[in-house]
Amino acid sequence: MKWLLQLYPAEWRCRYGEEFAAVLQGQRLSLGLVVDVFGGAVDAWLHPQLRGREHEITKGEQTMTNEMMKRCAAGGPKLSQRDQILAGITMAVGALILAAAYVVLRKLYHARPAVEALSYMSMPGMFLLYTKVAYLRQHKVSTQVITVGGGMVLLYLIFWGACEVAVRL
Amino acid sequence: MKKTKNNDELDDFGRFSEPALLILISLAEGPKHGYSMTEDIATIAGVRLGPGTLYGAIARLESRGLIEPLKSEDRRNPYALTGLGERALRARLDAMQTVVRAGQRRLAHA
Repeated sequence: MKWLLQLYPAEWRCRYGEEFAAVLQGQRLSLGLVVDVFGGAVDAWLHPQLRGREHEITKGEQTMTNEMMKRCAAGGPKLSQRDQILAGITMAVGALILAAAYVVLRKLYHARPAVEALSYMSMPGMFLLYTKVAYLRQHKVSTQVITVGGGMVLLYLIFWGACEVAVRL
Repeated sequence: MKKTKNNDELDDFGRFSEPALLILISLAEGPKHGYSMTEDIATIAGVRLGPGTLYGAIARLESRGLIEPLKSEDRRNPYALTGLGERALRARLDAMQTVVRAGQRRLAHA
């Protein structure tokens, strides 16, 4: 009589299938039983009671996804709120300084590759600034300055080179 | 009839309202698995619930937190009444008792 279980939705079978089969085994096959099981299956399809739990699972998955994103995000899981704020402020201040420098240099030297490179490097540069400040928070200030500064200079040189190549094409 | 919140819980069950009430009454004695509930209900109410009806009611009761599954290594999962389920059962039985008393009083004067 286990074939009657196939009438039910997969999720329902997953949750109640085994115990339902155990109850079913204790019953004598009759038209009344088939009608009852069929009616139960129609109800399970039309009024899935597992929706609430399913929703909880989805919420759980979202929480898990959020947790994973937090862990994969710059700074890792041990990054305190204070460190995040500090890294965020550093990034915002860095972006403002870079924007101001770009405006001034653009006014003085117009659209030269060396100036344009500054605008192109701003986005990856700020990301680098945030991650380095977050990851290197336990290190000495000199290490942080050298690493962040070196990274920014390297980024600038790459974009400057790219801009020089681009204007010559 | 004055309806309490707990009483309303069972009102939403439609055709599963009566089987759900019988399950709650059965579980008021202690945790039981599906087959034991069927046997117990057959004894106390003279009604043998089919598995489709039984699990339609169990799913509703569980989703509303009126009963909860207990851990078991056996594939026959036992269920227990929750605090909310107990309050819902009390509310429903009180409401039924009020109706029964009113009916009996009126029959006495008939």
